[in-house]
Amino acid sequence: MFAQQLINALSLGSVYALFALGFTLIFGVLGVINLAHGAVFMVGAYAALQAVVLAELPIWAALVIAFIISGLVGLAIDILVLSPLRKRDAPHLIPMIATIGVAIMLNSAAQGLFGADTLRFPPGVVPDGSIEAGGLHITAVEIGIIALTIVIMVVLLLGLRRTSIGKALRAVAESPRAAALLGIDVEGLFRKTSFVAAALGGVAGVLISLYANAVYPLMGQPMLHKGIAVIILGGMGDIRGALIGGLFLGFAEVFAVAYIGSTMRDAVAFGLLFLILLVRPTGLFGKANERKA
Amino acid sequence: MRFMRSAIVALAVTTGAVSSQAAEIKVGVAAALSGLAAQYGAAIRNGFELAADEINAAGGINGDTIKLVVEDEQGRKEEAINVFKKLIFQDKVLVVFGPTLSNSASAAHPIAQASRTPVFGTSNTADGITAVGNYVFRNSVTEADVLPDTLKKIVEKEGVKKVGVLYGNDDVFTKSSYDNFVKALKDQGIAVTTTETFAKGDVDFKAQLTKIKATEPDAIVLSALLAEGGPILVQARQLGINLPIIGGNGINSPKIFELAKGASDNLWVGSPWSVSSDTDVNRNFITAYERKFGSKPDQFAAQAFDALNIVAAALKTVELSGDIAKDRIALRDALPDVTWTGATGPFKFKQAQDRSGKPAGYDADQKPIVSVTKDGVYEIVN
Amino acid sequence: MDAFLLWFDEFWAVYSNLVLTLGINALLALSIWLTLACGVLALANAAFMGIGAYAGALATLNYDSPFALSIGVAMVAPSLVALAIGLPVLRLGGVYLAMATLGFGEVVRVVILNTESITGGALGLNGIPQYTQWWHVLLALVIVIFVLARLHRSKTGRAFEAIKVDETAASLMGVDLRANKLLAFVLGAAIAGLAGALNAHLTFFIGPQEYGFDRGVEILTMAILGGVTSIIGPIIGAVFLTLLPELLRGLADFRLIVNGFILVAVVLFLPNGLWDPARFRRWFGSGR
Repeated sequence: MFAQQLINALSLGSVYALFALGFTLIFGVLGVINLAHGAVFMVGAYAALQAVVLAELPIWAALVIAFIISGLVGLAIDILVLSPLRKRDAPHLIPMIATIGVAIMLNSAAQGLFGADTLRFPPGVVPDGSIEAGGLHITAVEIGIIALTIVIMVVLLLGLRRTSIGKALRAVAESPRAAALLGIDVEGLFRKTSFVAAALGGVAGVLISLYANAVYPLMGQPMLHKGIAVIILGGMGDIRGALIGGLFLGFAEVFAVAYIGSTMRDAVAFGLLFLILLVRPTGLFGKANERKA
Repeated sequence: MRFMRSAIVALAVTTGAVSSQAAEIKVGVAAALSGLAAQYGAAIRNGFELAADEINAAGGINGDTIKLVVEDEQGRKEEAINVFKKLIFQDKVLVVFGPTLSNSASAAHPIAQASRTPVFGTSNTADGITAVGNYVFRNSVTEADVLPDTLKKIVEKEGVKKVGVLYGNDDVFTKSSYDNFVKALKDQGIAVTTTETFAKGDVDFKAQLTKIKATEPDAIVLSALLAEGGPILVQARQLGINLPIIGGNGINSPKIFELAKGASDNLWVGSPWSVSSDTDVNRNFITAYERKFGSKPDQFAAQAFDALNIVAAALKTVELSGDIAKDRIALRDALPDVTWTGATGPFKFKQAQDRSGKPAGYDADQKPIVSVTKDGVYEIVN
Repeated sequence: MDAFLLWFDEFWAVYSNLVLTLGINALLALSIWLTLACGVLALANAAFMGIGAYAGALATLNYDSPFALSIGVAMVAPSLVALAIGLPVLRLGGVYLAMATLGFGEVVRVVILNTESITGGALGLNGIPQYTQWWHVLLALVIVIFVLARLHRSKTGRAFEAIKVDETAASLMGVDLRANKLLAFVLGAAIAGLAGALNAHLTFFIGPQEYGFDRGVEILTMAILGGVTSIIGPIIGAVFLTLLPELLRGLADFRLIVNGFILVAVVLFLPNGLWDPARFRRWFGSGR
C-alpha cells in the first residue's frame, strides 16, 4: 500500500504544482493574486473538449488549442482589466477584486454555453487503462502530468536564468519602476507573462480534467483554493516553490488519508500550512522582503 | 445554445400569458440553476417543464392551465429564502416546489409553513425535512427507505460479508445517505472494513481507494453525487479494484455511463426510479424527455416530473375559489390522499413526525427497484 | 396613507429577509473595514462569523438561552479565538497574513465538519428559532457604527491610521503595533460573530459550507468595492453587492455574467470604491 500511496501522492502533488505554476507566475511578476486563474483553467479544459468532441482533433492538438485560447483569455484580462489598474497604481487588493468579477463572468458564460452538467473527454483520447507492475497501478495521464510538470518547471527555471527575457523578468519582479528605468519594456513583459501563465493554466485544465474525468463550469474553484495553499507553502511568486509546495500538499493529503484518516485530510493540510507560515512567515522559498505591488 | 432556448421559452411563456384568457394556476419552482448544484437543478427544471407541457397539452386541470414560475436559488440558503418569499408573497403561487438542496430547504420551508403555502421537495433527502410542519411534502425517497433492499439483494447475489465505505462528508445529500448506509449495514450484520471520506470538487480519490483496497472488502459502499461518483468509479478500476460498488440515489443516472465509460460496470443502485424500468409511464417519460431536451433524464428529473403530476392530480379534486389563501389550504388538504402512478412507479404519501413525535409533513411511500450496471445499461435485479 | 401601508405590508412580506440581510452584510463589511483601517489584511471574518453563528445557535438550541445572551456568546466566542490566533498570526505581513487567515477559515470548516455530535457536521444545525427582528439588526448596526466612528476619531483610531500609512514610522513614534493590531482583529471578530448570530436566528438553519472561502472573499469585496476611506463605504458596498443579484433577477441566465461585469466596471472606473467623498467634491464642486 505504501508504494501505491507514494505514486498517488506524486501524481496528486504534480497536479497541484501544475495548476500553481501559472498562478505563481502572475503573482511573482505582476504582483496580482489572480482569482480568475481557476476560470482560465476551466476555459482550457472546455476549449480542448470542444476540439476533441466537435472537431475530432487528437489530444496533442487539443492541448495546443487550449494553450492558445486560455493564453488569449489571459492576455485579454491583462489588457482590459489589469493594465488600466496598473496605470493608476491601484493597491494590490483592487486587481484581486477585479479578477473575482472576471471569474464570475467566465464561469457563468461557460455554464450558459455548455450547461451545468459534468462532462468528460471521450474514452480513448488518451490510453485509458493503467499500467500494472508488481501490484502497483499508474495511468498514462499520471505519467504525463508528472513528466510535463517537471519539463515545464525546468524550462521556466532555465528560461528565467539564462535568457534575456528571463533576466528582464527578474528585474521586473524585483521592482517594475527600476526595470523601466533600465529601459526594459515592462508592459510588454507583463503581457507576455499574462499570456504564458494563462496558457499554462489552460494546459493544466486539460490534463487535470483528463486525470479526474470531469469537466464542469466551476471546476476551477476547488483547485483555486488548493492553488492558494500551494503558493503560500512554496513562497509566493517562486517557481521552484510551486513545485515543492504542490508536492508537499499532495504528500500531506495522501498520507493524511493513508495514516491519519480521510476526515482529517484538509485539517492536516491546512494545519501544516498554518504552522509553516508561523515558522517561516514568507513560505519555504519566499524572500524576506515582500514587494509592495 | 442554452441562452437562445431559454430566451425563446421565456418569450413563449409571456406571449402565451397575454393571449390566453383561460384561468392560470401559478406554480412556483425554486431550483439551483447556477452554482455548484446547477447540474441537478437544471434536470429538475427540465422535469417540471416537461410535466407542465404535457398537462397543459392534455387540456390542463379542469380547463385551467398550469403556469410555472421558475426562480434560481443558486443553491444558497439566503437566496432560497428570498426566492420563496418572492414566489409566495409577490407571485402568489399556489404551491412551491424545491429548493434543490436540503440545506436550502431547511432554511426556506419554514417560510412556506408559516404562510400556509404547500411546499413540495423533489430532491431533498435529509432527515427532518418534513418535520417542519403539515404543509411540507416531498416525493424524494430517502436512502433509509431503499438501502435495506439494495443491501439484501447484493448479499443474496454476491455473498457480500464485509464492505469498505467511501462518502462525501461535506455535503448533506451524501452525508445523510452515509448515515442511512451505516444503519442498514448494522441492521443486516455486514462488517465495515474502513470508512473513508472525500470533499466536493476533489480530483483525486486514489488515496482513499488504495486504503480501502488494502482492507480487502467484498464490495465498496459509495455515497456520492454524480460529479464525484463518475470519477471515483474510473479511478477505482484504474487501481485494479473490480469489486461491486453499492451506490446511493445520487448516482442513479444514465449519465454515469458517459462519465465512467469503460469503468461503469458492477454498480448497484436502489431507487424507485430506474432508466430501465419498463412501465408505460416511464417509457413515455423518457422518450418525451429525450425529444425535448436531447439527453436522457435522471432521477432528479423523474421526481420533478412526478411531483407536478401528483399536485395536478390533487388539484383535479379541488374546486379553486380564486382566493389564494383558501386555495392553498384546499390543495394542502387534498394532497395527502393522492395516489399516482408515475415515472417512479406507484406513489403515495405517508405522514412524517416532528421531533416530539407529533404528526408533521408527508414523505414518499414507494417500493425501490434494485439494478446493476452492465455494458452501459442498468439491469434490474429480480 | 392606507395605500402606502398596504404597499409596505406587501413589500415587507417579500423583501424583509433581503432588507435584514443587507444590514447583516453591512455589519460584516464593517468588521473587515476595522482591520483594514489598521493596515491588517486579515480574511478570517467569514470564519469568525461562523464561530459566532454556531456559538449563538448552540446556546439557543441547547440551553434555551435568551436571545440577548446568545448574541453575547456569539460575540465573545470568536473574540477569544481571535485573541488566541492573533498573537502568532499578526506577525505575518500583507498577503501572507491574508492567506494564513484564509487557511484558518478552512481549519474552522473542517473542525465543524468533524465535531458532528455538537455541530451536526455537514448536516448543519436545523430548526433555529427565528428571533432576529428588524430592530435588532438596526440597533446592532447603529451601535457598531457609533462605536467605530468614535474609535476612528479617538487616539486609538489615529494610531490605526498611522500603522496603516507606515508601520515602521508608527512604531518609531511609539505606537504599540501588536496591541493595536490585536485590538482591531479581536473587535472585528466580535462584530463578525454578532452578524453570524443575527443571520443564524433569521434563517432557521446554518451549515459549515456558508463560512468558507467564498464568504471570506465576498466580505472583503463588499468593503473594497464600497470604498475603505470612510465608514460609509463598506455599508454602501454591502448594500450594493447584496442588492445587485436581486435587481438583475429579470436577466435570468445572463444574471451572473452581468453581475461579474458590473463588479469589474466598478473596480475599473471608480478607483476609490463607490463611496468616495473626494470624487463627490470634484463632481459637485462644493468646498473648493
